[in-house]
Parts: sequence; C-alpha cells; structure tokens
Amino acid sequence: MSFFSRTLAILRKDLLAEWRTKERLSPMVFFVLLTLLVFNFSFELGGAALHEIGPGVLWSAFVFASLLGLNRSFVDERENGCLDGLLLAPGDRSAVYMGKMLGNLLFLLAVELISLPFFTLFFNLSPGPFLLPLLGLFLLGSASLASVGTLFAAMSSNMRLRELLLPLLLLPMVMPALISCVEATALVLKGDELARIAPYLQILTVFVVVFTTLSLLLFEHVIEE
Amino acid sequence: METSDAIAVDRASKRFGTFVALNQVDLHLPAGGVLLLAGPNGAGKSTLLRLLAGIGRPTSGQVRVAGADPNGDPEARSAIGLLSHQTLLYDDLTAHENLLFFARLYNLEKREERVGEALAEAGLAEWRDHRVRNFSRGMKQRLALARATLHQPSILLFDEPFTGLDQVATDALSRHLRRFKEQGRTCILVTHRLDTAADLIDHLAILRRGRIRHQAPWVNGSREELSALYTAHLEEQS
Repeated sequence: MSFFSRTLAILRKDLLAEWRTKERLSPMVFFVLLTLLVFNFSFELGGAALHEIGPGVLWSAFVFASLLGLNRSFVDERENGCLDGLLLAPGDRSAVYMGKMLGNLLFLLAVELISLPFFTLFFNLSPGPFLLPLLGLFLLGSASLASVGTLFAAMSSNMRLRELLLPLLLLPMVMPALISCVEATALVLKGDELARIAPYLQILTVFVVVFTTLSLLLFEHVIEE
Repeated sequence: METSDAIAVDRASKRFGTFVALNQVDLHLPAGGVLLLAGPNGAGKSTLLRLLAGIGRPTSGQVRVAGADPNGDPEARSAIGLLSHQTLLYDDLTAHENLLFFARLYNLEKREERVGEALAEAGLAEWRDHRVRNFSRGMKQRLALARATLHQPSILLFDEPFTGLDQVATDALSRHLRRFKEQGRTCILVTHRLDTAADLIDHLAILRRGRIRHQAPWVNGSREELSALYTAHLEEQS
C-alpha cells in the first residue's frame, strides 16, 4: 500500500474523530482568544504597541495552543492500545507520523484562521493587503510547529510527565522558527515589501523541510517501546 | 527453523533497561498449530507476543513470522492479526468507521463489502453506526475480533482475549477460535483460563521469568491434566 494512502487514512480518521468530539480544537481556540483578550486589556494594543508586541503575543498564543493539541494527538492513540493497531498494520510506519503531522497542521491552521478576525478586532487593524502574506506565514509557522511537535508528542506520549516534557523539548527547538514568525509578522503588519520578509520565509521553509525529513527518518525508532 | 514453521523464535531476548523481559527464548510452531503460551504474571508472555506481532523488536536473536521478520519486512505484518484485552478501537468512531479505517490501512479491496461481512459475522450489523464508546465489553471484543481478522491473516495472536468477558461471550470467542483452527490458521493464545484453552490447543509452552520452561505438543489432554502440568512446572521452578 502506498505511503500516501496510509497517510490519508490516518489523517481522515483524525479529522473525523475531531469533528465528533472537538476535544482538541475547542481548548486551542479558547486559549488563543483568551490570550488575545487578556493582552488587549493589559496593554491597550492598538496603535504604537501593535508593531512592538502584537506579533509576539499572537505567536506565543499559537505556540502554547499548539502544545494543547499536540499533547492530545498521541494520547488518544494510547487509549485502548490504538497505537498498537497502527504499528501492526503493514507498510512504512513513517506514514503514521505524516498523517498525524498533517492533522496537527490543519488543526493549528484552523485555530489561526478562527482567531485572525479577533486579532484584527482587538488590535484595531483594518482588513487589508497584509492578510495574504500573513496567511502564508501562518502556513509555514504552523508547519514548523507541527513537524517538530508531532515527533516530540510521539516521544512524550508514553511518559507520566508528558505535559511538562513536551514544552521542554519543543520550545527550544522551534525557537528559530518562532523568532522568524514574529519578525516576519511585524514586517507584514507594518506593510513592508515582500523582499524584506522573504528571508524569514526562506528560514521557515528550510526549517520545515529539514525537520519533516528528520522526523520521517526517526519516527519508527521513537515510537517503539 | 523447519520450513513448515509459521512461527520461529530463535534465541530472542528483550531487555528494558536492566530488566530482562525475555531471555534466549526459542519457540517454534508449525503452520496450522494452536499454541497455548502459559505462565504467571510478568513471565514475558505479552512481550513475546508483541515481538511476534512486530510491535516490538528483540534486543538480540531472531523472530520470524510466516517466514519473514515482521519488523524488517513491513508487508509481512499483513499476515498477522492481534486480539488483546485492549480493543485497539477508537471509542469516538462508529463500528463501521473503525473497521473501514483498518480496511484502508490494510489496503483491502471491496472495503465496504468486507466491512459489512465482518460486522454481520460479529453480530453487530445493526450497531454499525453506533459509537464504540457505547458498546458493552462483549460487543467491543466481538468488534475487536472482527478488526483483528478483517484482513484474513494466516497467523492470529490472542493476548488475554477472555479478560472481562462473561460466560456467553467467552463461549462465543471459543467457538471463533475453534473455527480458526479448523480453517488451518496458526494461533498463539495467551490466557490464564486453562480450562477454556485445553480443548482448543495442540501445542503448549510454559514461560517463566523470561524463559521457555516447557514446550511440547498437546494431544487430547484433559483440562485437569493441563492444569496439573502447569501447576507442577510452576512449583518445580519456584
């Protein structure tokens, strides 16, 4: 069976289960909205403060929301021994990683798209041409988080202190991607030219390619007992 | 390894850190054989079954199932079905969705048809669109058996399959096991229910502290004889 068919089967199953339960999306969305709301009242983010701390607030909210979703992605598979069912199936086990990674990416993108109108509202932004490059940044930033996060979520899923371990592993590793996202978002909100944003997009693209490839190679060893 | 051996374990060991779960285990079972793998808690039975299923990897030694290493040859795992005390099912999906997901993973042809047949065989056709979360333990185990045999594996591994089942469900599962035996499928059964297993098996292995202490064919032995042999081995070793 092809790698892509297995990947799609796992992705489809994860989306269906999430559609039923909303166990991952709901807490992620509420966390991001609450964070934006709290910072909005704390700092009066409209105006000058927007470009200073707005992008940092936004991406911090996304990163911590992603931890909520990533933590659940393999915990659900441990219930009833479902992960054994996946490992027992024939074919390349890295398809499990790819299916899970794409699921995490889609969930994070959904959270970002839902929270974008609230971000523009709280931060007094008028919808404008900044939205298109911002969506591109969301895609690359989310892919960075999902590529590394899915591997670490698999590693930590069988441990008692997984809620603590996952951020400890993930946050230092995604720091280069996170800094690029924050810097690029600040430039986008200022309305800078795409040429100034391009280096950050390149860093993020390289980050995604390198860590996705490494994770595909390492996943089988990570997931075994 | 005999050419007809469906299962061949040669000097397989498994360590978790400093803990030795399996120590130089040798186990051979011909195609079509039904083996009872007995032993006290912590003997290493489930670990051995996980190695046979390709879910774990031996620290040393060799495991071959249907002539192939289930870890080295990923496609070889399509010959294996595993039923354990855990269902390996997703509670938030329906019975139909669960089986369809596994049918996709195993790349089965005519998936809908095969899933429909499996649900009917399990007596769950009218429950196909109900979430597994709402099933009784017996229904879940019937669905788990349907999942384990959906791809019609030639080798079936049962890890404490009777756990939590009432007498009616236990009898039904025993009937399925007998049918698999008649179909010529190779089965390994791990259970503490020796009385239930005695009529089903034709090979017996006793595992204790990670080592095979006894392995022999079991022909027409009674439940009492099986129980006495098992107890004698445990007492002898203690």
